[in-house]
Parts: sequence; structure tokens; C-alpha cells
Amino acid sequence: MADSPEEIAKHKKLYAAIGIWLLVFSCVALALGKITWLDFGPPGATWEDILIGLSVSVVKASLVALIFMHLNHEKGLIYKTLLFTFLFFLGLMSLTLFALADPIRESFDTLNTVKGMLNRPN
Amino acid sequence: MSELAAHSHGEVHDDHDHHEAPFWKQYVFSTDHKVIGIQYGFTALLFLAFGFFLMMVMRWSIAYPDRAVPVLSDWPWFQAWLDNEGRVTGDLYNMFGAMHGTIMVFLGIVPLAFGAFGNYVTPLQIGAPDMAFPRLNMASFWCFLLGGVLMFVSFFLPSGAAKVGWTNYSPLATTTDLNFSSQFWTGQTQWLVGMVFLISSSLLGAVNFIATIINLRCRGMTWMRLPFFVWAMMVTGFLLLLAFPPLEVAAIMQIMDRLGGTSFFVPTGLNVNGLAFDAAGGGSPLLYQHLFWFLAHPEVYVLILPAIAIVSEVIPCNTRKPLWGYKSMVYAVMALGFLAFIVWAHHMYMTGMGPAISTFFQTTTVLISVPSVILITSLLISMWGGSIRFNPAMLFATAFIPMFGIGGLTGLPLAFNLPDLHLHDTYYVIGHFHYVVAPGTIFGLFAGIYHWFPKHTGRQMNTMLGHLHFWPSLICMNGIFAPMFLQGMAGFHRRAFDGGAAYEQISSSILAEPGTFVAGVFEKLRIVGEGQPVEMIDLNIVTSTFAWLLALAQVPFIINLFASVYVGKKVTSDNPWDATTLEWATPTPPPHGNFTTEPVAYRGPYEYSVPGADTDFTPQFEDDPGIVKKEPAKRDDKVSSEDSTKA
Amino acid sequence: MEIPYEVAPRRDTGLFNSKLGIWLFLASEVMLFGGLFSAYIFLRVGVIEGVDAPWPWGINVHKTFVVLGFVNTLVLIISSVFVVFGWIALKERNWGRFQMFMYLTVACAAIFMALKTVEYRSKLTQHHDIKLLDNSVLEGKILDKTFDVPFEGNSVEFNLAGSAPGFIHDIEGEFPVMKATWKEYATVDGERKIVDKEAEIRSAKEFKSWFVRARTKATSDLIAERKRYRSEVAAKNKALYKEEEFTNPKGPVVDTKAILTAESAFQLHSRRRQVSPIERSDKGDSMTYLDGSTVKGTAGDDRIKFEPHYLDMQLVPIHKQKDSMVWDVLGDSHMKDAWYENREVAYEHMEEYYEGRKKEIPESMLRGYYINIQSLHGKEHAKPFWQEFFDEFKAGAGIGGGDHSDHAEHSHDQGDHEHHDDHAEEEAHAAADDHGAHNDHGAHSVVMIPRDKIKFFNSHGPRNNNYYAIYFTMTALHGLHVIGGALVLLYFVVFGKPLFLRNPEHLANRVEVGGLFWHFVDLIWIFLFPLMYLL
Repeated sequence: MADSPEEIAKHKKLYAAIGIWLLVFSCVALALGKITWLDFGPPGATWEDILIGLSVSVVKASLVALIFMHLNHEKGLIYKTLLFTFLFFLGLMSLTLFALADPIRESFDTLNTVKGMLNRPN
Repeated sequence: MSELAAHSHGEVHDDHDHHEAPFWKQYVFSTDHKVIGIQYGFTALLFLAFGFFLMMVMRWSIAYPDRAVPVLSDWPWFQAWLDNEGRVTGDLYNMFGAMHGTIMVFLGIVPLAFGAFGNYVTPLQIGAPDMAFPRLNMASFWCFLLGGVLMFVSFFLPSGAAKVGWTNYSPLATTTDLNFSSQFWTGQTQWLVGMVFLISSSLLGAVNFIATIINLRCRGMTWMRLPFFVWAMMVTGFLLLLAFPPLEVAAIMQIMDRLGGTSFFVPTGLNVNGLAFDAAGGGSPLLYQHLFWFLAHPEVYVLILPAIAIVSEVIPCNTRKPLWGYKSMVYAVMALGFLAFIVWAHHMYMTGMGPAISTFFQTTTVLISVPSVILITSLLISMWGGSIRFNPAMLFATAFIPMFGIGGLTGLPLAFNLPDLHLHDTYYVIGHFHYVVAPGTIFGLFAGIYHWFPKHTGRQMNTMLGHLHFWPSLICMNGIFAPMFLQGMAGFHRRAFDGGAAYEQISSSILAEPGTFVAGVFEKLRIVGEGQPVEMIDLNIVTSTFAWLLALAQVPFIINLFASVYVGKKVTSDNPWDATTLEWATPTPPPHGNFTTEPVAYRGPYEYSVPGADTDFTPQFEDDPGIVKKEPAKRDDKVSSEDSTKA
Repeated sequence: MEIPYEVAPRRDTGLFNSKLGIWLFLASEVMLFGGLFSAYIFLRVGVIEGVDAPWPWGINVHKTFVVLGFVNTLVLIISSVFVVFGWIALKERNWGRFQMFMYLTVACAAIFMALKTVEYRSKLTQHHDIKLLDNSVLEGKILDKTFDVPFEGNSVEFNLAGSAPGFIHDIEGEFPVMKATWKEYATVDGERKIVDKEAEIRSAKEFKSWFVRARTKATSDLIAERKRYRSEVAAKNKALYKEEEFTNPKGPVVDTKAILTAESAFQLHSRRRQVSPIERSDKGDSMTYLDGSTVKGTAGDDRIKFEPHYLDMQLVPIHKQKDSMVWDVLGDSHMKDAWYENREVAYEHMEEYYEGRKKEIPESMLRGYYINIQSLHGKEHAKPFWQEFFDEFKAGAGIGGGDHSDHAEHSHDQGDHEHHDDHAEEEAHAAADDHGAHNDHGAHSVVMIPRDKIKFFNSHGPRNNNYYAIYFTMTALHGLHVIGGALVLLYFVVFGKPLFLRNPEHLANRVEVGGLFWHFVDLIWIFLFPLMYLL
């Protein structure tokens, strides 16, 4: 990537700029977390706050990954690997939550429900 | 062996002195992938034998719960764990059960299949001089050995080894062995620490394998010219790479629970032995199961894929026919690898999952049988119409197919939650997955040993002893696992250390009425008394007897393995099986650095019986443009040689 | 032999080996931390309201820690920039500048770990939670060593065949001279007999060697007895078969009980996990360890000297809050009124908010109320934020007046002297005055909380609740990554010169790979900071 001196100088500027942006975003995250009027939704950490706070993190993380880790220069192979990794991570996270949110609720009532359905006058 | 030393180029260091490396560097702390492969292999075989021994003791307890264990009851270690009459106690059974599973899976089959065969064969088949990171490879082996030693040593701690099943479910795993003042030196904790080492070893290994396969393929070795073995190894590598970390997390969290007093997996209000458990609570036992099975289901494919891979090398070679449906097999194995990650909760139907999530996991579970069937069917069709050489390797490979088939098909009822509720934790499950891994995977591994033995030693293994090994093994394997289906459907629970005697008292399940043929046979064998019906529980004795016979059936193999190194028939060429893949292009045995000339792959891996060819095999490495048109050089061909010179 | 593509990238994949390797490794690291993040979400979402400790845990995440975490975020980001600049310096073949940036990066890592240590120390030693039997939680600081179970022992009884007794690690002060009595088999006049044995033990080391010997003997006795029993059973069976006379075999007889008697009483401070309070007998004259050994003696003063800062009633049902035992413990009748007043005000705010949005106030909001006890006293004094930060920082770093151990020694002595004093409140206030010099908070009172009113108590360490558990697990794992990454970078800069002279591109590749790992560590922290400190 950084082969000619001009290009290197350009890269340096880019890296410094990204560094500053990251610092700025960190301050934004702190402000979102701690300043009362930036607390969206009901008071406390509700899903609105979590969504906004984590999107700031995602922006920061993608800056680090794309620029500092040169993902923007990589070929497809790394992308494919990371894509699958990310998919499996999402699977692990979402399916466990899905399982948590979907317990068997009416173990005893099911019987009565079925009975009720059978006895229901048409 | 002397050749190996002669070809040794010393270490990977930059100084190219041609001194002979000292013994410990050549055979103990070696970075040569072949030596590491052999190290893995021997360690794994030892652990397999040990795991088998544990199982034989358990089978005694199941078959004869009221009799003293023969021979062992005088050993000092056993004294502490047997009761006054010398019988197996529940604690001992639990310990052996848990450690049998752990040792067989993590210390036996995975190291043998992935560590040994993967390490030995993969770089040879892709034409690489070694793995991409030889020193990492060595670290991976020693990490594995450390984990294994910790597991083994835990037997001799006052607490004994882990005893809550190979799954180590919390909160039982968290609260067991709490009565020891040093919590670190208990079997439960050592299991976790050992697992962390084993997992780290597997992760390092997986990184190494994938990097090697992607980056070190030789000239002309394009993706679709890779032998199927290499494809399977790559998918296995990805399974290990991405599925193992969650279990490492679970192990770390359970260590925290045991040593740090946290309550990741301890629910609020837990009582142990009638006393409130002194922890904050608020954790979730289900979380552990999710994290565990997120690994442990892909682990099943880690166990089976290398075996399929070996078999798919042995079969084309010995049928003298190309592998049928090579491309579909490659895509199938990739699909299998992907689906393996999203089926794990079918092990958890009993945890009270609701209908929606159950439906999801049932669907994916049934879907995964499609690629599995593609693989098996392709192998089966590959044999169709071939002129088959039934040498011992081929025998094992052939037997692999129906055995794995039985294991796979009996898994279908378990994929659906309704039958699973009935069959869960019964002997049916044991039979099912043992058909997959015992006569399945282990037969595949035996096939591999017979197949590649001449490459490493320059001598053939004895065919007669091979037959003596194969046929009794096949019979015994079926004798062990087939009755388990019957017992399982009758409701025998796998964790009953008396083999279901207690269960029999409340419900008798008759296998055969007196007077029938089966009852006659059982009578003749003195398993049941005269005029007695044969009950399900009597099958325990049959199963156990076959298990002990299986141990005897391995004796010819052990003799064969060691004796053939010295007295086996010498091979006359570097390619004794007339095979086509690149590993047969190396000298025998392959020196450090593998190839004497730069290997080039000119064609696909399974060019057997090409019409019009002089011989019935056309190796990948032979530049013989007579029959097959030589394909134009691929993108990488020229560049790679340039780069390697520059480097 | 040479491995290809160690330095130059392979054309079709565009990667040299180690870069491919590190990306694969990072993929597995994504799954590692992914598993932990999943666990975080699973545990947080899976909280049963009113039963488990609620997330987010109120204001437990002190401002101090937020500031520390924030500073650490900045430090890591800056170090990431340094790594990139170091790599560029290598690309320009400028060893001096590379060196500078690498040392700066390692310095950043050191700062990060130092701040982390301060934070850990502060959490582990300066903040405690006490959960009373009715689930009301007092947050504050435990002032003495009653954090362990105090006990004055005379003798210990345990089983030689069992696990090594753990009390030996808990003995405070000088090791007492003890007499051990136990039984074992010995051959006397050619006959195997049970004999009484005695030994004197003067140190923990002596005890250990004695125990190992005695246990080995007990085990071999047991084995011999079982052998004898089994052979007698066999003989009996034979006799039965031959219809001869026989005597019923006597089962194995081994007495593995051992007793240690001390010449003078010894002080025990038992780790709580080894001996739960429930395990002690009602009279307080014996205490049983989880390993089965029983200590006889007298229970020490088991009241906990505690300085409450916050009161949390989130786990107490609303109708029980009025009669909560926390009011007795706090012992100030004004407090209860102040609490209700405070709550009314807060409810009004909440009602306003939810009415504006036409929603009902959630049950958890009604119950959940978390309040500073100082404000209940009516003497809340606002300290400047930076002052609070530096106090906390000093305490965490173990400098200045807030040293915990010093404090604890002192109050423990005092507890002994005033053992007879029934008026806990008076004593507490006296203690508070006494500690005024040490304690900048000043206004906090000190209360004595009897152990039998306590369900669970802990520092803000991993045991406290699942938030702290996952906080410590994840940040510690992340900290290990920071240390590992810093060591690797340090290795490159300290031992990299020869490689730089020989093949600078190779070193640049290595630094790039090390840098990738370093950026990943930064990336993890980018998610850890909001999840652990802000949300």
C-alpha cells in the first residue's frame, strides 16, 4: 500500500485524522451515556439508548477495522472468513436469546385448552 | 529413518547449516509436521486405549452390578473407589463415564483424526514443504499433551476425576466436589483447566491448517484439484476455529464459578444438600448448555469429517475409479460445515424450549442430513463397477459406509423433539452416536493407518493380521451397539450404573418369551435360566461380552502396527498403492521438507482408469500430456515461483 | 527448507502466511469475545425481575470508574494510532522513529493496565454490598476483618480418609502447639490390632507431612481390611457350599477419625466459601467446614462493622418495604420517613414522565429505588467531582489515608474491647468519630450488622452479582490480551534490530501482524466500554 513517499504522507494524514475521529466518537459515547438530556426513551438504559450507544461503537469499530486494520485493502478471502464468523456469532447470540424468549408456557393449561376445544358446542 | 536424518535441513532458522539435529530436536521437540503427526497419533492411540479401558470397567458394572470387579479390585487406586465387596460404586461409574466421553472425543479421536492424519497428510497432499507455522504446530501438540496430562492426573487427586458427564453441565458441575479445601486441585476444576489447554491447542492447530491449505498449495494445485481429504480438513479446521471459542468461554466462566465464586451458571435460590448455596445467584444453567453445544455439535462433524476424508482417499485408490461426484462432495462438505453451526439446540429439547425455536432447530437438523447423505452416497457410487482390491484399508473403508449409515439414520428420530423426549438420555442415543464414531470414525481411522503406513515406514502392514483385526472388530462393534437400540427404546437410562436393574423392578420388558429361538440361544449361553423369558436387561451381558471381545480383537492390530515397522514386507516403489495424489510423489519416508523436486499438480486428484492411458492411474504429479490435455497455467503458477525465490 | 510466502504475499490470495494466520486467529477471537458478549446479553435479558440482581445495577458504576474507563478508551485509541505510525516508520525504513512509536505504544499499554489495577483494587477493597435476609441491599464499606468468619477454636475433629482439612490455612497469628490423636492398625506381638496414636504438631508444615503420612496409612489399612473381609467372605461361601460350619465375616473396621487438641485457643478467620454461616451450630460452640472437619470452640463477634453509603430496595416487594429489617439495622427512625419523602418526590417525577407518554409506570420502576443514605440523613454535601475522583483514585491505588488494612486492624481491636457493649448504635457512632480522621466522607455513620441478618455479602468483586462477574471476566481477559499484545510489540522493538538490518520488510510484516492484533484489542474495548460503564 504505502510505497511512494507521497502516498505514505497521505496515509499518515489519514491515520491521524481517523485517530482524532475516534477520540471524538468516544466523547460522544460518553456524553450519550452520562448526560441526562441525551437519555432517549424512558429514564435509564432502555433499548433506544442501547441502540444509539452501540451504533456509535459500531461506527468506531468499523473505522478501526477498515482503516487501521487495512480491511479496505484486503481481498475477498478475509472478507468471506469474517463474514461467516460474524454470521455464526450472530447465530450464537440471536438463537440463544430466541430460545430464552420462547419457553414452554402452558404446560398444564394445554390439557384444559384441548379439553375445552373438544367440549366446545359447535 | 536414516534417510529422514539425511534429508533433514535443520531448523527453520535462517542459518542453513546441514548438521544433523540432536535427537530431542528431531523426534521430541520437532517442528516437522510428520513427526508431530506421529506424536499426535501415538498419544491419541494411548488415550483411546485408556478410554476403552474405562469403558470396559463400566460395562462390568452394567452387566454384573452385584459382583466384584475381576483383576482390578486389588489395585490400590481402585480400592478407594470400589465398595467393600469390590463392586463398582456409582461415583466410580460416573467418573469413568465422564472421562470416557472426554478422553475419547477430545484426547482420542480429534487428535488422531485431525492432529495426526491432518498433520501428516495435508501438507504432503498440497505439495507444501511443511505447515505454514511449524513452531506453532509444535506448540499446539505440547499444549494438547499438557491438557491431556492434566486430565489423566486428575484421576489421582483425592477428589478423583470429573464425574458429571462429558457435558459437565452446571449447576451440578459447579457444586460437585465442594468439600475439598483446595478447589483448584479437584477433578472438576482440572477438567476445565485441561479443556482450556485442549481448546487452545485445537485453535492453534486450526489456524495452522487453514493457513497452510490456503497459502501453501503448490504450483497448479487449484481449489478444484485439491484432494477431498484436504477439503474436509479445511472445513474441519473452520469448525474448530469458530466453534471452540464459545466452549472456552464456558470453561472460563465455569472456572470462575468454581474458584471465583461467581454465579454465571448458578440460578437464584439454589440449594445443595439442603443448604442454601452461598452465591449471589442470577445465573443461567441454560447458558452453559448453549455455549457447550455450540461447540459440541460441530464437534460431531469434527469427529466424522476426517474419517469421511480418509475413506474418500482409500476408496478411489482401491476401486481404481475416480471419486464419484467430487464437486458435489466438496459443496456438500461446505454446506455441512455451515449447517453444523445452527443445529446445536437439538441436544436441548428437554430444556423446555418453546415450539417456535424447536421448529427452527428441527428444520436445520433435518436439513443437515442432506449433505451427509450426498457424501455417503457419492462414496457408495464410487465403488459401483470398480475392480476392488480388498486390502485391510479398503475393508475398513467399506465397512465405514454402512456403519456410518446406521448411525446417521438412527439419528433421524432424535432430530424431532417428540420422539426425542422419549429417547433422550437412553441407550438409544448411546447406540446412535457410537455407531457414528466407533465403527464409523474409528474404522475410517484404521483405514487411514493401513493406507498410509507404507508411506512412513517403507513397509507394508500384514494383510492376514489386518483381516484378523477387521472381521472380529466388525462383529463386536455391531454386537455392542445394536442391542443398545432395543434397550433404549425400552427406556433404559444411560446413567444407571447398575445397568437398569432398578428400572427392571418397576417395569419388566420382555425381549423373547421362553421357548422361542432367541430364548433358546440365551439359555444355551447361560445368560438366563431354563424356562425364563429373556428380558431387556439380559442384553447387558451380551453387550459387555462383545465389548471385552473387541479389546481382544485389537491385539492383532497392535502386533501388526509394531512388528510391521521391523519385519513388514518392504515396498518396492514410493507409490505402492498406485495412487494419484501428491503424497506418493515424495521419497519413502518423506524427508524434512518433504519433496526432493518442486511438486506441480497437473490435473485433478482422482484420475484413475483414464481411457486410453497406459496405466490405470494418472498421478497428479506426472507431467504426461499424452492422454489428458495439460491445462494452461493458472494465475498463481508463474508468480509463486518468483515470489518464493524472492523470499 | 524454507516455507514459501513468509515475507512476500502470495499473488492469488494477496496474503503472506502470518497475515492470513492472524486474521484466522482474530476470527476465533471474535467468537471468543462473541461468546462472552452473548453471555452478557443472555444474563442481562434473562434477569427475573424482583428475584435476580437487576441490570443495569443502578449507580454502582461510579463516576470514578466511568472516568477511568473513558481515559482508558482514549489511551487505547492513541496507542492504536502509534502502532500504525510505527509500522509506517518501518515502511520508510526509519528505525529510530519506529522505536519511539513502539515504546509509546507499550507505555500506553502500561498506563491502561495501571488504571485498570486502580479500578480493580477500588472495586475489590473499597466497596461492599450487604444483602439482608429480606433482600434489601446496603451498599458501602466493610470496615473490619469480619468479612471472614471469626472463631476461637480449641480442638478440631476430622476424617483421615477425606480431603485435607482447610482450617489449617485459616489460623491467625502464631501456630498453636497441637496434639493429634488417631487410631491405626499396627502389629503388636504378631497380631494385627488397632492402636491409639499420638503426635505433637507445631507448625502448618508439620501438620501437612503428618496428615499425608496418616492418610496414606489409613488408606492402606482400609485396603488391607477390605482384602481380609473379601477373603473371609470367599471362605464363608466355600463353607456354605460344602455345608461346613462358618463364622459370619466382620465387615472392614477402620476408624479414620482424628482429633487435634490445641494447648491454647487459636484464632480462625475462615474463608466464607469454606464454611457457610449456616454450618455453625446454634450454640456457637462448633463450626463445620465444607470439607467435613469440625472445629470446637467459641464463635467470635460476628457482627460486621459497616459504613453504609447507599440503600437499594429494588428486590423488596413494595408492601414489605415499610417493615424492612433495614430500618432496624440502620437504627435511625428519621431515615424511614426521609426515605418515603424521597420516594414520593421521585414518584411524582416518574408519574409526570409516564403520564406525558400515556403509559403506566412499570412495576420495576415503582419498586426499584436506589438512594444515597447521606441524603436520608439530610446532610448531603456536594463534593466537587474531581475531589471525589481523586479520593477514589487514591483509595484504589492504595496511597494516602484510605488504606484499608490499616483501618481494619484498628477497628478489629476496638471490636474486641467493646464486645460487651450492647448498644450497637452508640458504638457505631463512636467508631465513626474515631475513623473520622481516616475518612473524608465524614458524614457516614457506622453500623454493626449481625451476621444472622445477612443473606449474602461481598465486595464489588466478581462474586457480587452477574454484572460484576462478567465485568471482571471480560475486562480481565481483555487485560490479558493487552499484556500479551504489548509483550509481542515490545519483543519486536527490543530484539528486532538484526532482522531490521537483514530484511526490513519481514520486520514490517511482523509489526503489521502484531498491530492487527493490537487494533483488535482496541476494537474489543470499544464495545466493552459502553457495555460495562455506560449502558
